[in-house]
Amino acid sequence: MQLRDYIIRRLIILPFLVFGVSVVVFTLTRIGGSPIGVYLSHEMSAAEVQQLEERFHLNEPLYVQYFYWARGALQGDFGYSGVASAPVSQVFWPKLAATLELSVVSAAVAVMLGLWLGVFAGVRRNRWQDHVTRVVAVSGASLPLFWFGIVLLIIFWANLGWFPVGRSDADIWASMPHPTGLYMLDSILAGSWRGFVDAVWHLILPAITLGFGAVAIITRMMRSALVEELQQEYVDAARAKGLPERLVLNRHARRNALVPTVTVIGLTIAFLMQGAIAAEIIFRWPGLGRWMASAVVRGDQATIMTYVLFTSVLFLFANLVVDIIYAKLDPRVRLGD
Amino acid sequence: MNAMNTVTPAPRIAEVKGLKVHFQSKQGRVHAVDGVDFDIRDGEMLGLVGETGCGKSVTGRCFLDLVPQPPADIAGGRVLFRPRGGKACPDCSGKGCETCGGTGAETLDLLNIPAKKMRQIRGEKIAMIFQDPGKALNPTLTIGAQLSEVFLQHKSHELLEAAGVGEGDRGWVAGSLRRQANQREGSFDRWARRFPPLKGPSRRLQKALDEKVAAALAETQIPNPRRVMTSYPHELSGGMRQRVMIAQSLACDPDLIIADEPTTALDVTIQARILDLIKMLQAKRRTSVLYISHDLSLVRKVCDRVAVMYAGRIAEVGTVSQVFTDPRHPYTQGLLNAVPRAGTRRGHLASIPGTVPELVDPPPACRFVDRCPKAMAQCRGADPQLLPVTEGHDVACFLEHPREDTAPETPRLETA
Ligand SMILES: Nc1ncnc2c1ncn2[C@@H]1O[C@H](COP(=O)(O)OP(=O)(O)O)[C@@H](O)[C@H]1O
Ligand code: SF4
Ligand SMILES: [Mg+2]
Ligand SMILES: [Zn+2]
Repeated sequence: MQLRDYIIRRLIILPFLVFGVSVVVFTLTRIGGSPIGVYLSHEMSAAEVQQLEERFHLNEPLYVQYFYWARGALQGDFGYSGVASAPVSQVFWPKLAATLELSVVSAAVAVMLGLWLGVFAGVRRNRWQDHVTRVVAVSGASLPLFWFGIVLLIIFWANLGWFPVGRSDADIWASMPHPTGLYMLDSILAGSWRGFVDAVWHLILPAITLGFGAVAIITRMMRSALVEELQQEYVDAARAKGLPERLVLNRHARRNALVPTVTVIGLTIAFLMQGAIAAEIIFRWPGLGRWMASAVVRGDQATIMTYVLFTSVLFLFANLVVDIIYAKLDPRVRLGD
Repeated sequence: MNAMNTVTPAPRIAEVKGLKVHFQSKQGRVHAVDGVDFDIRDGEMLGLVGETGCGKSVTGRCFLDLVPQPPADIAGGRVLFRPRGGKACPDCSGKGCETCGGTGAETLDLLNIPAKKMRQIRGEKIAMIFQDPGKALNPTLTIGAQLSEVFLQHKSHELLEAAGVGEGDRGWVAGSLRRQANQREGSFDRWARRFPPLKGPSRRLQKALDEKVAAALAETQIPNPRRVMTSYPHELSGGMRQRVMIAQSLACDPDLIIADEPTTALDVTIQARILDLIKMLQAKRRTSVLYISHDLSLVRKVCDRVAVMYAGRIAEVGTVSQVFTDPRHPYTQGLLNAVPRAGTRRGHLASIPGTVPELVDPPPACRFVDRCPKAMAQCRGADPQLLPVTEGHDVACFLEHPREDTAPETPRLETA
């Protein structure tokens, strides 16, 4: 199948998948209890409560409730977030921007560092550099993220005071407009060097916390994939042509080792989205993850629904991107067969 | 042997002397190659035969420094190579000395040259055809890209000439073209070659390269080379892939080709055709070939001389007619009597009872002693040496060359 046809087919299927996910998630959250909680107060009479229920169609059967929810979602109305005290659609973008900034930066650094470290260790297989890398990678993959984050927080924020928590210095943040919601980008657009430094400074600890595990996973995968490729006969055949080791590695072994690693990188996106929840709580990062955590605690169903729906769409897209890169890297891959 | 009437044999392009390659394993040192001697004459096809695991591939790979160290350890010996049309021997300036074996030609010890020099030899002077073309071709690069590498590596000056870049040309365009021809281009070079002034000469370079690749493929009788160039290995049949490997190995018209079981991985129906192709191209170019095989009948068909290998040693070497009509070593005799039967594993022999010995720390003895029908007491305790029986026919067996330190075995008397 042509890659283009494959992409089109997957994009056509996408809405159906999202529909399926929304039905499942809707049902599960409703089983957990009525979403009315965020609207109630102690002073309300039973009649008033019933009035509210009728207004939000909570007295109707579940599938009717779903219909009202879906109709709203299609019109961009995802309900009212009790946690944020605002409509979900209004606060969603600024929170997403905060999470995106954190996870994109740590993902980008993690991918580059992980691939580099994996190659570094793979070509030095069983030498001390490989062993050191392995120890770092194993600890990165096995340290609980929240624990690692708290340790960083205690050392570098509480004791040494080198790094701040939160996302920004309130004064600097207020000193510029925020057209994109991405602090680093906004500060560049506003020409504020001070703002940019502030953005990076706040980002470092949570990004390390979030990215360490991903670096570890990518490093280990890239290393073992490279070691495997280096044992293939085509590597010797490349050497037998007279190619310098630089090309044997870059053009032949490393490129082919990327094929299995790309799949793992796709999975670490999921890892990052989950990790962001813990990292945002620890470092008081005003993103989606922290919002989601409070929403779960307070039974803010509109927020939970939106968050889960959004993450599932994100995963579907991430999968598609991984498939495309996979097919680009390996001509033997027959997508969709 | 009469030392006086040494006939000057054809010049030897390569000589393997006392080659020892050991592998460190948990059980001990595996003596995979344990004192191998043979030479390859100019323009001949030398067969190297023996059962699977006897050290043929390791021996062949030594020519190109492709034995991984560790786990391997080159424990001794030399692999001498005299490139055709090479310079005069620097030690004797062509008069003939020990280094060059009296030939006066430049002689390289392939086990002992700088890595850079080895890279110049690989693909250009000595090329290799691998056993399984499905594994020896990179699955993610097109055939064209893989063949191009050989030309870019060794013929970049010709390609630059085609692009109109002279020796003394300076400037960014010439520099970028040089980077293209020397496989050092960056992303910017790749981008910039879409526009003038780089576009024209870069296209000419690519065209010259493509022509070389297509011609190399055409020579191995691949139909429609241009289409094959844009294919990936998995899109070709096994026979076609091996033709590509052969084209790749012949690309720079090397002096010596190491063909490591080039037909073993192929369908029986195409084996003969690939064999004929190799023979035809070899005869046409007078290239020397080390033809490694476990199949005596193939070697008999195409080779000029044959070396029989057993458990890391050469048992017998001579011309094809000497070895096949007058085999002296009991192992060779066994091989010739062996008729492969159904159920016999590929590369194993049906008629010789017993198995190839463990090569871990072997004691001094004939390696064949446990399977040899003619084994004698003197076969243990010392290694038989490879010595001539007739001109050009050497055998390593105490039957032919009894040990001097022990009394010759008294023949058993038949009791009536
Ligand atoms: N990479 C390696 N690691 C360890 N041992 C090896 C390796 N390559 C070859 N050997 C040893 O060398 C012996 C000879 O191998 P090889 O030359 O491939 O045999 P052949 O080509 O005659 O079938 C093998 O039996 C094995 O014990
Ligand atoms: S030396 Fe002895 S054991 Fe070895 S082949 Fe000759 S007769 Fe047989
Ligand atoms: Mg072999
Ligand atoms: Zn000399």
